[in-house]
Amino acid sequence: MSMRPANFDYQRPTSLSEAIQLLANNDEAKALAGGHSLIPAMNQRLSTPEQLVDIGRLDELKGISTNNGTLSIGALSTHAQIAASSDVRTHCAALATATGLVGDPQVRNWGTLGGNLAHADPASDPPTVVLAAGGTLHLQGPNGTRSVSADNFFIDLFTTDLQPGELITRIEIPSLQGKKNAYVKLAHPASRYAIVGVCVVLEMNGNECVSARVAVGGATPKATRSPSAEERLTGSSLQVAAVDAAAEALVNDIAGDVMGDLFAPEDYRRAMAGVYLKRAVQAAMA
Amino acid sequence: MHIDVTINGEEQTWDVLPHERLLRVLRREGYFSVKFGDEDGRSGADAILMDGKLVNSHNILAAQAHNHAIMTLEGLGSSRDLHPLQQAFIETGAIQSGYNTPAQILAAYALLQANPNPTEAEVREAIAGVLDRETGYVKVVQAILRAAAVMRGEDVPPYEPLQRAIPAPPGLFDAPWPFDEGDGHDGGDATVTKTVPAVVISPPEVEHNRTVGKPEAKVDAVKLAAGKPVYTDDMEMRGMLHAALLTSPHAHARIVHIDTSKAKALPGVHAVLTYKDVPRVVYASGGQSYPNPPPYDQVSLDNKVRHVGDRVAVVAAETPEIAREALDLIEVEYEVLPAVFDPVEAMQEGAPVIHDEPDAVKIHDASRNIVHHIEAEAGDADAQWAKADHIFEGEYRVHQVQQASIEPHVVVTWWDEDDRLVIRTSTQVPFHVRRMVAPLLGLPVKKIRVIKPRIGGGFGGKQEMLIEDLCAHLTIATGRPVRFEYTREHEFTSARSRHPQVIRFKTGVTHDGEIVASELYIIGNTGAYGTHGLTVQMVSGFRGLTTYNAPFSRFVCDVVYTNIPTPGAYRGYGAPQSLFALEVHTEEIAEALGMDVIEFKRKNWIKVGDSMVMARALGEGREGFEQVVSTSALNECVDIGARAMGWYDKRGVERTVPGKPHLRRGIGMAVAMHGTGIAGLDMGAASIKLNDDGSFNVLFGATDLGTGADTVLAQIAAESLGVPVEDIIVYAADTDMTPFDTGAYASSTTYISGGAVLKAAEDVKAQILAHAAEHILHVPVEELDLDDRKVIARNGQSVSLEEVALHSLHQEDQKQIMATASHLSYESPPPFAAQFAEVIVDMETGQVTVERLLMAVDCGIAINPITASGQVEGGMVQALGYAHCEEMAYDEHGHLQATKFDDYRIYRANEMPELEVIFVETYEPSGPFGAKAVAEIPKDGVAPALASAIYDATGVRIRQIPFTPERVWQALRD
Repeated sequence: MSMRPANFDYQRPTSLSEAIQLLANNDEAKALAGGHSLIPAMNQRLSTPEQLVDIGRLDELKGISTNNGTLSIGALSTHAQIAASSDVRTHCAALATATGLVGDPQVRNWGTLGGNLAHADPASDPPTVVLAAGGTLHLQGPNGTRSVSADNFFIDLFTTDLQPGELITRIEIPSLQGKKNAYVKLAHPASRYAIVGVCVVLEMNGNECVSARVAVGGATPKATRSPSAEERLTGSSLQVAAVDAAAEALVNDIAGDVMGDLFAPEDYRRAMAGVYLKRAVQAAMA
Repeated sequence: MHIDVTINGEEQTWDVLPHERLLRVLRREGYFSVKFGDEDGRSGADAILMDGKLVNSHNILAAQAHNHAIMTLEGLGSSRDLHPLQQAFIETGAIQSGYNTPAQILAAYALLQANPNPTEAEVREAIAGVLDRETGYVKVVQAILRAAAVMRGEDVPPYEPLQRAIPAPPGLFDAPWPFDEGDGHDGGDATVTKTVPAVVISPPEVEHNRTVGKPEAKVDAVKLAAGKPVYTDDMEMRGMLHAALLTSPHAHARIVHIDTSKAKALPGVHAVLTYKDVPRVVYASGGQSYPNPPPYDQVSLDNKVRHVGDRVAVVAAETPEIAREALDLIEVEYEVLPAVFDPVEAMQEGAPVIHDEPDAVKIHDASRNIVHHIEAEAGDADAQWAKADHIFEGEYRVHQVQQASIEPHVVVTWWDEDDRLVIRTSTQVPFHVRRMVAPLLGLPVKKIRVIKPRIGGGFGGKQEMLIEDLCAHLTIATGRPVRFEYTREHEFTSARSRHPQVIRFKTGVTHDGEIVASELYIIGNTGAYGTHGLTVQMVSGFRGLTTYNAPFSRFVCDVVYTNIPTPGAYRGYGAPQSLFALEVHTEEIAEALGMDVIEFKRKNWIKVGDSMVMARALGEGREGFEQVVSTSALNECVDIGARAMGWYDKRGVERTVPGKPHLRRGIGMAVAMHGTGIAGLDMGAASIKLNDDGSFNVLFGATDLGTGADTVLAQIAAESLGVPVEDIIVYAADTDMTPFDTGAYASSTTYISGGAVLKAAEDVKAQILAHAAEHILHVPVEELDLDDRKVIARNGQSVSLEEVALHSLHQEDQKQIMATASHLSYESPPPFAAQFAEVIVDMETGQVTVERLLMAVDCGIAINPITASGQVEGGMVQALGYAHCEEMAYDEHGHLQATKFDDYRIYRANEMPELEVIFVETYEPSGPFGAKAVAEIPKDGVAPALASAIYDATGVRIRQIPFTPERVWQALRD
């Protein structure tokens, strides 16, 4: 196997509608945001588009803002921009953490949140946080716009609900201000991708956790919520026994789905998912 | 299509193709400071600034750069007008090969634009995406912090790299060490906690030196800091073709049919070569002295493949893209054969026979895949075993890792105007390449010229005639210049690596802790071919048995073929393997006997005056020479290191981290002993000539890989000739222009090639003094000496070297004052070191965080303490990768699982432990100005020191590296 991208046509539309038209006209066209996921995939011929539609300059897809307590992040926002955004730090600290942990400075300077979520790499950090935070993805395609909750967006390994010709335009996350939230990960030492990444969002009333959202990535084919862990945490005061039970519940929830490789076999990842849930709760409450 | 860019402030329009990467376009446009490291831009060598942000140019399409502002190092400063960052990189010794220096400087520049006063942690984060295989990042971080201060307008004092320089009083090496028992951190800037400068403790012989022992800037530093086009690939030739290699997808197969007609028909393709097109000449690819150690089991292209990544066909075409497209059009039908990956299985009856070809030469037992069977012993077995009160046995396993120089193997070949073949190649062994490639090409040696330009790291991976033959075959086939650069994947699958081994020690010890007998059995996995297989394993045996030098020592070894990519030379060359096993084994014995680990080792390690028991029995691929240890500061290294680390307060004490009940701290140590060149084999030569102005050309075959060899050799010449280093013009490693040298390996350059430079300089000096005595000063020659660019007489008379030069060249008794000398040594005086490590182990996850590595080393006199400490820092980090996280792992079909930098872990700047180097110098009488070697010994002690520290933290003994989280976690559960 040699590394070589196939030949392709390159288009640089000047508007979102033109981009969508180009993508709609060619089943073998693919949108290019930064390219940090797509270009290596093309190198290995895991992806062989006929046409690349460079959406990297579309102003409609840029910018980070808050509206009525909802964080709105343009799909072309880079990891570095998100990690440095005071809006993101205020309203979804876990996302600032996660984007700050992606790759290295060059990856964070060039890779985009939209491209990252569309690629749906199971070992990537942002999907786990967007899922735990209850994010919504706004999509636009040849048939207009629609919104999909993160719960329904991630379908499988590198597979999402994105339809042909559709683009992610922005990501909305309800403000987590006032809720405890954290993302922690056990990083693969080479790629910095997550072997296991866990995000928790905890709503506290005094010492009592009144609601919890827990998502895990890295270990599973897609970012995955753990209803049983959420159940164990909800109503508890996050005492050791409750968190241990939640960790066990998380491990049980994902048990059948855990992936392994030579670096981190299944049993190791499974065990680490539990350990990292406990650490996520600890980090959120710190 | 056209793109408009602003490059280094200048608006330009470039014609690009849709699929072209920005890196390729930048280099085509002449911005050679931007380097290729890998296909995905993960090395960061390709980093540039786009609109002020650091990005990887090989992971961006050129089309995406339209209307953006790009900055490369060429836009920052030039060799005549250096930016403060470039200046600081030169002063601090942050540049070794310099291959990724442009990217590091740009990363630093982007940081300092946004944050003029960064913390060390911020600096480390900013350069975390530029992989460095050489420096250990210590001096790079120092350089950036220093430049930041300069750029803020602060008054920055001249760079002082030495924390302390203590001349040792006479007799000190026998006495207790009057060393400040600090924590090793005093004297540093409070924010610079992880960039502790090197400490040198010197014997009195060095006090009078003018340049030897001084931290001179590297002679090639300015051009490297400026990003000039100095590497193999930084050239363009009219009509140059690009090569691409088709490799085997199978671990073991016969090529039953191969059809290249479609590939040849592709427009732009000029040649497609398979085994049918090149002569079948057997050879061994290791770059070693004549006659190369057997077996001769390779041919340029074969009709059988023996590992995934083995050579099948090679193409030359107008562009790299066409060449790669042509590979897809080569039709190959394979008969897939059973494969074997485990060396123990490979030796069994009925295992697949990997070398069944009739023309392979000197394979011990091809039918059982045994390349070599080595048995060597010295001493009286019965008498020594009879003395043993205890016998300890242990088995240890070490794995395969890759050199991973950021510059891949790359070569350009062409016919010159005299129809001689020129090979410009990134090699450690230009003279071996010329001799070895000649028969494969059917050319006489005199028709070949090999040139080594600057190279971007080698670490043994380029002690090989690896791809020069194929590139030359393509030039012969096409008549055109051809460029052949390995992909990163090929670096992993089709280059060389470190031999994996199974290592068994059996050691006899008396009640009071004296080692009386030692047996070492090694199964070395040499993969598909036997290159370096004999000699690496012999070094494993010699180092494993000589460090404690048992009166009876016995080495048995099987070197075995399997269907994995071929290991070869990798910095350390067999010693890191056996020293891991030896040092863990030795610690286990001390524990079992209830003895203090250090005292047990001290009682037994080899000492000054001791004759090395196995020296004669285990040479390098041939019989060796009797050797006696003449200098050793191992005692002092261990004591100073232990005190600097707080060893006696920490070892054996359970230590936790407040608020983190799942963490445990541990401290560990190991000792190491290496060699200095190959006794009786390595030879270097040098020529020195005097120029009109009193400067000197120094020509030698020695091969600087980024280590600073050119600088060290210039210092040796300058010291001897009484001139500053700037009066020495170095030209090296060109088979037409310079004398012979065996090459850059076996830690030999300073000692062997330096010895040659010193001899030549002394000869030139004698000629200068004679000419001045006879024709100018008219005083007896015995009363003359060289200093300060002058011939100085005892009576106070003097004449400048320039006057002597002009006089001798033009005026009277005219002659060219010059000399050539060769140097060979029948000794290989060992450097010694104590390696310490501190770790934190996460008991829940098995993660090992290495907090601090300290090496106290006796390398003789460090000719240049900056380049020497750079060797130690970078070497320790490579050794840390070996011990901790780097691994070539395969699936059940022999497909490598790590073929990219995303999968193969190289330590980054922001995850480094604190590194500390202490030089405890001795004066080695056989070395130039007292020097021994330093390049490889840093590879030897880190793995066992880590094992020792993990044991101290957890009570668990792990006898296999690397200490990946999963392995440690499993060990903690068992």
